[in-house]
This record gives sequence, structure tokens and C-alpha cells, in this order.
Amino acid sequence: MNSSNPLAVHLVDIWKRFPGVIANAGATLSVTEGTIHAVLGENGAGKSTLMNVLAGMYRPDAGEIQVKGEPCWFQSPADALSAGIGMVHQEFRLVPSFTVAENVVLGTAERILRRSSIESDVGNLAHEFGLSIDPSRPVWQLSMGERQRVEILKTLYRNAQILILDEPTAVLTPKEADELGATLREMAKTGRSIIFISHKLHEVKEFCDEATVLRDGKTVAASLLVKDTETVELAGLMVGSSPATTNRPVPQTRGEPFLSISGLRILDDRFLPAVQDLSLDVYSGEIVGIAGVSGNGQRELAQAIAGLRSMTSGTVTINGENLSNALPVDRSKAGLGYVPEDRLGVGLAPRLNVIENAILRNYRNLRQGPLLADEQMITYCEDIVDRFGVRTGPLGEPIAGLSGGNLQRLLVGRELSGDLKVLVAAQPTRGLDVKGVKAIQDLLVAERSRGVAILLISEDLDELLTLSDRLLVMHEGKILGEFDPDTAKRHDIGAAMAGEVAT
Amino acid sequence: MGRLILVRREKILRGGQPLAFLIGLTIAMTIGILLLVISGHDPFAVYERMVEASVGSPKAWSITLNRAVPLGLAGLAVAVAGSMGLWNIGAEGQILAGAIMAAWVARVGEGWPSPILITVMLLAAVAGGALLGLGPAVARAQIGVNEIITTLMLNEVALRLLQWLIHGPWKDPESRGFPLAPILPEEARLPGLFQRAHWGAVIALLVIALFGLVASKTAWGYELRVAGSSGATALYAGISLKKKILTVLVLSGGIAGLAGGIELSGNSDRIVEGISAGYGFAGIIVAALALLRPSGVAAVALLFGAVQVGGLSIQTMGVSSSVSTILQALILFGAIGAGVFSRYSIKRVSKEKMDVK
Repeated sequence: MNSSNPLAVHLVDIWKRFPGVIANAGATLSVTEGTIHAVLGENGAGKSTLMNVLAGMYRPDAGEIQVKGEPCWFQSPADALSAGIGMVHQEFRLVPSFTVAENVVLGTAERILRRSSIESDVGNLAHEFGLSIDPSRPVWQLSMGERQRVEILKTLYRNAQILILDEPTAVLTPKEADELGATLREMAKTGRSIIFISHKLHEVKEFCDEATVLRDGKTVAASLLVKDTETVELAGLMVGSSPATTNRPVPQTRGEPFLSISGLRILDDRFLPAVQDLSLDVYSGEIVGIAGVSGNGQRELAQAIAGLRSMTSGTVTINGENLSNALPVDRSKAGLGYVPEDRLGVGLAPRLNVIENAILRNYRNLRQGPLLADEQMITYCEDIVDRFGVRTGPLGEPIAGLSGGNLQRLLVGRELSGDLKVLVAAQPTRGLDVKGVKAIQDLLVAERSRGVAILLISEDLDELLTLSDRLLVMHEGKILGEFDPDTAKRHDIGAAMAGEVAT
Repeated sequence: MGRLILVRREKILRGGQPLAFLIGLTIAMTIGILLLVISGHDPFAVYERMVEASVGSPKAWSITLNRAVPLGLAGLAVAVAGSMGLWNIGAEGQILAGAIMAAWVARVGEGWPSPILITVMLLAAVAGGALLGLGPAVARAQIGVNEIITTLMLNEVALRLLQWLIHGPWKDPESRGFPLAPILPEEARLPGLFQRAHWGAVIALLVIALFGLVASKTAWGYELRVAGSSGATALYAGISLKKKILTVLVLSGGIAGLAGGIELSGNSDRIVEGISAGYGFAGIIVAALALLRPSGVAAVALLFGAVQVGGLSIQTMGVSSSVSTILQALILFGAIGAGVFSRYSIKRVSKEKMDVK
């Protein structure tokens, strides 16, 4: 774009700490007026925090916000809105029983609502930007794509000159995503600036003019011209390029294939294909890493192996047993351990105590008649707590009081106990501090030495390169490449993650 | 700039609950004094009468206990459903269904020995309540129909059924036109305990204690608590949510039904329209104040019963029923509501900090 155009937004050296995490560590962002600017980064890179700072939701610990050259200090989202900044969040904030028009004018309307006049206002606005929507329809009848248009209309109606869209395409079908791209282009033509948060590189390539990449809360590449930048390069910037990692576990000969998957097809929550004809084997005594930009079917793959998501076709075999249609509990009996991405939602019961969470996989064996055997339960729990170094208060206290690292140790410890053959670990170290990460990684390596077949899904490429014996890259539900972590070039892995088959 | 918020204490304050109870009670009774003075009564005489009538003598205790029985069972019924995050608003109707079933057994079982007759009556009462809970349970478990609405609507069905019975087929020929069912035979009456109290109190206490034990000690109770805490985790552990929803709602109905059977056999001597006196709805309050814990249900029901008995007694002193109801509400709210402070503390937060999530 024309670099002589003035800057709409200039964020300088933004810092934001949360308890235990530094979300932004000197991030910067410059958005030129009338452009679509992508903000890229993996989960946890600090994109959302930075955008919330700009939209007045958070106040930065340090740093400066400039809007159209003026330094700003937002006390609330309302302040940011009056400075012309509107944000479309991932979760929509709409009143389902209100009509489109009523939602759009909500909070700004005159005391007396004239239905026909607001409907024609909103209709005209929608028409101006090529947003096809009927202003008189109640929101509960609308598709996710239409609801998003209502959110966009809300910001336009409030005359926002700078629009922030937080992963807008995550809820859209591919066709809706294309339509959104066209709308954004239309809005940019009117001199508005759009900040587009995403980790889908092809969309960035199609829709955006410039891109800024964040990693670990810092800006690693600012305002790259998208048309002059390869997707591969963007992927590389997102995952980083730290030197080859040391202390890899010593290679060992692999045994039997404990986990075999073939021809797997899975639908996501919107009934769109998430995993397409995927096959892989994990052998006893090896760690197979799955790399990929998040949202490419990794989550659905892990859930399907655990039995928590049904598949449309294909087979899952654990230790020679075909368990394609088995319940989670039967898969667990066959020797499958599962560390879910969403620990408190799927893995643990937050209101119950440490003992009760520790026995979840095995409580059926700790019975005396209809009663649970107290002493056996406590012994079982103490064993996990000791072996896996879970630091807890009294075991009878709810687990809600445990730190993230200790919750994860408890969960991993529980899943690793018993006669384990296969472990599926989804983002097992996400959100943990350095010590916690190390402890969990050591546990995984120890299990590998015992002969467990481990499928490790992670967004941390360094972790994958350190731990994996083989590395597979997933893109749009398919495996696009297999790499040897000792010899693979990050550039090639990045290319596969961006959907470009190298080699 | 600042704002007051409640912050969950990391540890429950030791001895905090009785203390909060006393402080809350004192505040409530102070407000009550104002209310009574304004409405032209001697507050201390009124309070004395309340205490006298509810806990002042063995007889007073027995009356309080009789009130606490249906309140406690209805409260337990609501708490049982609540442990799975479900709301049974139909305890009132289930109590009526239980009473109807028990009365039916008493009619057909004429001449049976008393212990057998009473046992069968109470079992039939459980079945009656459970039957009324079954419909909502199936609808909820199979197709996710909101149980609040279905259980609530069935209250009306049970009430109409009862009205039809006492206006029609079960109408006592000697009632001189009043809609009353005939008086139960002596063999169908629960034996007395002391003064006016009857064995229903023992049965209720046993049922509450039994459920408390089952929930905390058995594998079934464990599964129930896992499912109540996180549905996805329960599914992963191989616990069938559908089965749990079904059992819990049917069980909840059965417990409320038992309350109806005991009320008929122990307290009332015949089926009349007002046999439940709103116990099913009061049970929702009992369960909520008891934080859905069985041990709490028993204690709250006893307090609730005492307050109700006291509140009724002062109406004979000329205190209007609305003032009496306000007093009852104040005392319950003050005494139990204050318990929240043993688990939460009040903190002042600056506006600056509030945004940090």
C-alpha cells in the first residue's frame, strides 16, 4: 500500500502482565489508513491481549496507544469506540430475540424507536457495504455468518473507522469467509482500517494488505507487505526459528504399532470436514508429533481417537483391537490414555477433590460392594501424587485450588497409570510455567522409554522437535508431510504448515 | 473510586457459620422490632410468643418437627435433582401424587395389619411421586426438554386429579357436601413419637442421612457428583449422563412422594385440597439455602419449620398474617443468608484492578 498514507493506529512498546503470564512484552503495531492489516501468531502469542488493549478492554502496563497520530488513554471500550475503534469479538454479543436492526441500534437509539426508520437506516448501511442481511429478522434465526454481519454493522453504525476482527473466519463456512473478505475490501475502500486477527495463512494472503507477526508477546515482524511475502515465510515467523534444540531423548528402536489409524474422516462442530482421509501409525516406544497451525483438525483428531467425537469413516485400532466405535471407557480399558486440550472441561471435575479426580479412570476397581473403598482410594491417589510430584493441599480439598501445572500433573499422572499402551496428549504443556513444561515433557519421555506409543499434538514447534521421533504436519485435516526432527529444516516444516508441500 | 465485591475465601472460616448465623439473626430481629413497633405491637411479647410456640416446650418441638418433615423431604428432593444441576419444581405435585397413592392403598387395604398397611402406603407414595417425575425425566434425558417447565406443569395435573377425587369418587358421604375424602382408618396412621410428633420424623431423617451416605460413599454417588461437576468428564469416564438424569429425577419425585405419604398418614387424617400447604415450593428454598447438601437440608428444614410454627402462633395475638410472613422471611434470610460470609469475604477493589481478569 501507499506508505505515505497516515497511520490509523500506532501501538508502541505495549506491555501487559497477567498473574503468571506476560501476554505482551513490548509489542508494536502500525496500521496504515485504508488497509486491511493481519495480526498473526499462534495461540498464546498475545494477539488477543494486544487487540483488547487497543479496544479499551485492558489497560496496558506500559506503552503508548496512538490513534490517527493522537496519543490515547482508554478507560473503557466506550472510550475506544468514541475514538473510532470497534471490535468484533469471537463470541458474538447479540440479543437473540431482537431483530437485526434493534441489535444494531441498541444503546445508541433515541428514546422512541421507530421500527421502520431504524430498519431502513440499517438496511441502507448494510447495502452500502454489500452486507446482505434483512434488518427485520430476529437474530436467533440467523446463521453464524449473518450474526457476524450484524456485529460488523454495529461497529459501522457507531461510525467506527478502525475495525478489529478477532478470528472472524473461525465460525464461518469457506463461502461465508470469502464474502467477508469482499466486505472488508469494500470497507477499506472507504478509508476505514481493518485489523484482521487470524492464523489461517491463506486468508491472510487473500484478504490482507499488510501483516504483523507476534510471538511470545513480542512483534517479530511488523507491517510486512503481504503481496511480497510468501506464506511459508509467514508460517516460519509464527513458529520461530530458535536454534536446533539440544537434549533430545536418545533414539530407541520402536516396537509394535500400538495405535493405527486409517482412512479417518471427522466432521467439526459446524459439520464441515475437519479431518479428511487421515492415516497414521504410532509404534511402541516412539513419540509421534503432530505440528500444524491450530484449527487444522488436530483437536478433532485427538477427540476422535479418545472416543469423544464420532467419525464418519475410518478405523482406529489400539494394540491390535479395532475400537472404531468403542466408548471412551472401553478405549481406556484397552490401554489408551488421553490428555485433553481442555483440562477443566473434559479431563477433570473442578468441584470434586483431588482424590475423586485421581480415581476417575479407575474407580470401578476401587469398590467394596457398592461402596468406594476409602483407603484404597487414598492410596491410589497418594501414589499418583507422589510419583508425579503433584503439589496439593489436603487431598480432600476441591482441585479448583491447584495451580495449572499441578492440575496437569494430576491429570497426566492419572492417565499414565495402569497398563498404558497408547497416550494421546493434546497441548499437554500449554499454559504451564517453565518448570511445569519440563516436568510434563520428562514424563512423556519416560513413558516412551517404557514402550508406550505417544501421539503428541502441540503448537509449540520447539517442543515437537525436542520430543518427537517423527514429526507429521497437519494442514486442513490432512497430513502434508513427515519429517525427521533431527534433519528437518524449519523452513520445510513451515511450508507444510502453510499448506505448501515441499520436498 | 472503589466498589465492594464478594471474594471466595480460600478456606471456609472455621466457626464462621454459627457466628454468621447469630449475627444475621440479630440483624433480622432488629429490623423485625422496627416492623412490629410500626405495626403497633409489643415486639418482645411477639418474639417471646414465637419462641414459646416453636421450641418452648416438648409440645412446641413436636409441632415444629411435624412441619420440618415434609419441608426436609421436599428439600431433599430438590437437592437430589440439584446435585446434577437439574431443578425439580414439581415437588408440590409429587407430594400430592404420593398422598393420593397412599390414600388409595388405605382404601383397598382395609383390614390389613397396621405395620404392613403403612409400609405399603409409604411405598405406594414413593411410587406415585416417582411416576410423576418419570415423564419429565424421560423427556429431559432423551430429548433435552427443560425439566423446570415439565415438572412445574405437572403440579397442576396432580392438583386437578386430587380435586376430582375429593369432589367425585372419593367424596365422603358424611361430609355434608364439603369436598373431603373420608377419614383414614386408625391402622393407616403413623404411630406417635412424643406429644404430637410421629414416626415420620424418624423416617425423614433416615432417608436424608441415607442419601447423604450414598452420595458421598458409593460409586453411584461418585458418578453422580462427577456428572454434576462436568458432563464432558463424566462422558469420558464412561458415565452415562442419560441414565443419571433419569434416575435422579425419578428419585427426586419418589422422595417428594414419600413426603406426601407421610403427611397423609402422620399429620392429616384424610385427603383434603390443602394437604401439602406449599411444602413442595418451600422445599426449593430449603434446598437452595442448604446449598443442596443433605446435612444442610435437615438443619434448614428444622429452622424453617420452627419459624413457620412461630409465625402462625403470633397471628392469634392480632399480628396480621402479612406482617408475620415478613417476619418469617426476615429471620430465614438473615439467619441463613448470612452464612455466605463464612465462605466469602467482602473486599473493596479499586477500579484500576477490576479490569484485570
